[in-house]
Amino acid sequence: MDVTTLTALSKWMEDTDLDEVTWRHGKDSISLKTGNIQSESCVPVSRLQPVLSPSVGIFRSSVPGHTSNLQEGSKTDKGAELGWIETGKNRESVQSPCAGILKIIAIKDGQAAEYGQPLFFVETE
Amino acid sequence: MFKKVLIANRGEIAVRIIRTLREMGISPVVAYSQADINSLPLRLADKTVCIGPASASQSYLNTDAIIAAAEITGADAIHPGYGFLSENADFAQACSDSGITFIGPSAETILKLGDKAGARRMAVQAGIPVTPGTDVCVTPENYELEAAKTGFPLMIKATAGGGGKGIRVVRDMASLKNELQIASAEAMSAFGNSDVYFEKYLENPRHIEMQFVRDSKGNTVTFPERDCSIQRRHQKLIEETPSSAVSEQLRNRLSRAAMKLADTAGYVGAGTVEFLLDREGGFWFMEVNTRLQVEHPVTEAVTGTDLVREQILAAAGEPLSIPAGSLAPHGHAIEFRINAEDPEEDFRPGAGIIQNLFLPGGPGVRTDTHLYTGYSLPVFYDSLIAKLIVHAADRGQAVNRAARALRELEITGIKTTVPFHMSIIQDSDFRSGHTHTGFAEAFIAGIKKNKKQDLTNN
Repeated sequence: MDVTTLTALSKWMEDTDLDEVTWRHGKDSISLKTGNIQSESCVPVSRLQPVLSPSVGIFRSSVPGHTSNLQEGSKTDKGAELGWIETGKNRESVQSPCAGILKIIAIKDGQAAEYGQPLFFVETE
Repeated sequence: MFKKVLIANRGEIAVRIIRTLREMGISPVVAYSQADINSLPLRLADKTVCIGPASASQSYLNTDAIIAAAEITGADAIHPGYGFLSENADFAQACSDSGITFIGPSAETILKLGDKAGARRMAVQAGIPVTPGTDVCVTPENYELEAAKTGFPLMIKATAGGGGKGIRVVRDMASLKNELQIASAEAMSAFGNSDVYFEKYLENPRHIEMQFVRDSKGNTVTFPERDCSIQRRHQKLIEETPSSAVSEQLRNRLSRAAMKLADTAGYVGAGTVEFLLDREGGFWFMEVNTRLQVEHPVTEAVTGTDLVREQILAAAGEPLSIPAGSLAPHGHAIEFRINAEDPEEDFRPGAGIIQNLFLPGGPGVRTDTHLYTGYSLPVFYDSLIAKLIVHAADRGQAVNRAARALRELEITGIKTTVPFHMSIIQDSDFRSGHTHTGFAEAFIAGIKKNKKQDLTNN
C-alpha cells in the first residue's frame, strides 16, 4: 500500500466514527485503529463531591428557631459545618470535605438520614 | 400487637426473625452495617436502615444508632436476635426509655441473671443445685482458701463472660496463681471487667439446657431438654433434643427447676437455663441465657412451636399461644452448625464468594441460612453461615436423615464445617449417643493423629 492511499484512508477514518478498519487488496492487508479507542475505558469525571451522613438519625441544618442560611450555589470552605445529625442525645457535625460551591442540598431540616447517605454535593474549585 | 419491628442483627437469625414477623403480619425493618449491604435480610425486609460501618462496635453494638434507626422508621419494638446487644441490660433499658419495646426480658431481669454470680445465687434461692464454687469474686487475698473450698480441678470464669470465653481450667494449686493472673487480664480485655470466680470442673459432663417461655401473666411453658455436648472450645457445633442421657423422670426434674427459676426471676420472654449433667445423673446449674438461642429450631421441631412468635407475644404483653406446662418431645431433632471454617486447618475462619449453593430438602429437613449464590461473605462477623436441622421419629433415623441431608447440601466457594459433621456422625460413639463436652475435641485430635500416622507410613 502506498503512502498516499494510507494517508487518504486514515484521513477518511478521522471523518467517520469508525475506530477500526481492515483493508485488503490481493495479498496485502492492513488494519488501522484510531487513538479514540481509548476513550471507551475513560471514566466520566465529576467534580461533585458527596457529603455523607456521619451517622443515622435526624438532620438539623440550624439550631431550633433559626433558619439555615445554606443555599444551593453558595460558597463553602473545607471543614465548614453544613449541619449535624442527631442520634439520640448525640450530635455529629456534618462538614464539607472540600472547598467549593454547594451545588446540591439533598436533605431538609428534620429529615431522617442513614449512615453514609449523601446529604450534599459540593463542586470542587 | 406491634405493627413494625426493627431487627438489630444480621445473618441467618435476621432471616429467621423476618419469617415469623411476616407470618404475624408485622412489618420487618432491618438495621444493617455497610458490610452487609448485599445481605439477604435486606432483600426480605420492608425497610432497611444503614446504622454504621462494618465494625460491630460502631454498628450492631451501637445502642444510639439502633434506637435512632427504630425511631426514624417508626418501629414499635426491637428484636435483638442473639449475640450483639441481646443480653445487654443497658440496651434493653435504653429501648424502654425511648418508648420502644425490647423483645426480651426486662433490663432488670437481664442484669440479675446476666451476672453469673448473681444468677448462681438466684438458682440456690430456687432450690437448684449449683456446682461447688465461690459466691464472691476471688481476690489475691482469698484465692487459695476459695480454691481449697471448691476443690480441683476447677474453672476460673469471668463474671461478665459468656459464650465459653474467658474460661480456664486449673488442675492444681501450683499453677493457680499464674492462671488467675492470665484469666483476670483476659476478662479485662474481653469484657472490660477483670472479676473472676471459681467453679468446680466436672470431667466429661454433658451440656443440657432447658428452654422456657413465660408471659407477663406468669404462665410458664418448659420445653424438652437440649443436649449441646458436641462443642469445640466451648462453642456448640451440634445440638439435639431430647438427650439420650435424660430419662423422663430426669426431664421432669429439669423442667421443674427451669420453671422455678423463671418464676423466681419474674421472667417475661424466652430464656434458657444451662446445666451440666454428670455421669451419675446429677445436674448442676451453669447459667441463664436471657435471649433466643442459636439452637432453638430443634426445640421447635419436636414441639411444633415457633419460639420467636412466643417471644413476640410475651413482649407485647399477650398470652402465649401454648398452654402453661411442660411439653413432651415428638421424635428427635438434631441441628448442625455450618460455619465458614476449614476443619482441615484447625477450624480457621474464612470468607469469600458463594459460587454454588444447593440446600437439602425432603421430609424432616430445615435449613436456616442467609446465603445465596454469588453472596460475598464478609470477614467481620461470626462464622455461622447456616443451620441444618433434621427431625425424625427417633435418634437413629434422625442421624440417618442428617447423613442424607449433609450429602445433598452443597456450598462451594468457601470452606465449611460440613465435612466435619459428615465424619462425626459416622462415629460409633456418636451414633450410640455416648457423647460429652470433651467428645468433639477428642474426635478432632483422633483424626489429626491418624493423618500424621498415614503420612509417616507413606
